[in-house]
Amino acid sequence: MSTLTKVLIVLLTIASIFLCGIVVTYVASAENFKEKYDTASRQLRTARQNEDTATDQFNELKKRTDEEKLKLSGDIGALQQQVTALKANLTKIEIERDTALRKEGNWASITKELTATNDNQRQLLENALDGQKNLNAELIKERKQLDDATAALLEKSAIIAQLEGKLKGMIEDNALLQNTLDKYLRQYGKAFAQPSPVTKVREAVQIAPPVTDIDLKGSLTAVDLKNHLAELSIGAADGVKEGMRFHTTRESKFVCDVVILEVEPDKSVGWLELLQEQPQNQPRAGDVVSTNL
Amino acid sequence: MSPAMSGRSKKVSVPDNLYTVILAVALCAVVGTAVYVAFQCLTQYDTIFKIQ
Repeated sequence: MSTLTKVLIVLLTIASIFLCGIVVTYVASAENFKEKYDTASRQLRTARQNEDTATDQFNELKKRTDEEKLKLSGDIGALQQQVTALKANLTKIEIERDTALRKEGNWASITKELTATNDNQRQLLENALDGQKNLNAELIKERKQLDDATAALLEKSAIIAQLEGKLKGMIEDNALLQNTLDKYLRQYGKAFAQPSPVTKVREAVQIAPPVTDIDLKGSLTAVDLKNHLAELSIGAADGVKEGMRFHTTRESKFVCDVVILEVEPDKSVGWLELLQEQPQNQPRAGDVVSTNL
Repeated sequence: MSPAMSGRSKKVSVPDNLYTVILAVALCAVVGTAVYVAFQCLTQYDTIFKIQ
């Protein structure tokens, strides 16, 4: 074997061992790309699935967000309306508060004035009570005096009643006597004249009182044509007095006159005058009598 | 130095079997490397020559 062959063998062996060492080192230290690829592929697939899931979730969330947005927009509108209404109410309440404050001030001043007035009224009441006490004392005194005066008045009233009874009896006697005298004198065509004093009293000139119509009206209740007497339905209570002349009419026709001779409280009796000859014009019960035509 | 050795000037040489052993070692190294690489390819890529 030649020397060159030997050298080549040695060099080839060294190179083979060196190359084999490098290859083994490289292969041993090389990374497992297939496993990495599988891992990456799985991660990619998982990532895509996650992406799809995230997209779906995003879309669903977006849809839900839009719905919530619409709902919240409606709520915001309603809340804005409520805010507007509350602002209006607030303004109204503030106005009412101001009005109430003004009223409170007015009522405070009124209360103050009322207190002052009450004090004055109380003072006046106390003064009035004092005056009333004095008046009560005076009233008691005057009542005693009044009782005394009433007792004296009763005594005097009794005396006056006795005197009036006597006077009435005398007047009735006088009237009876005068009637009797009139009847006697009338038969002879004479009448009783009022006595006049011998010495006349000169009176000062006086203004004549105004003349007014008596304007009494009544009716005939009874007629005595034989004695020329008639009874009237009115008496002293209506203002009839002796000597009054009543005109008797029937349906606006004149019948006769009646001169009052005697007066009683509810009726009177008179003398018939100016009688007419026709029998239908003679006075009868029911004819109207009056002082003025 | 012994006289025998110094008396004979014989050239020292390496026997040929040594080179054979060296070649065998080199062959074993190459084959082992190939087997190892093939094993790694088979275990990692499930194939030896085809690229998936």
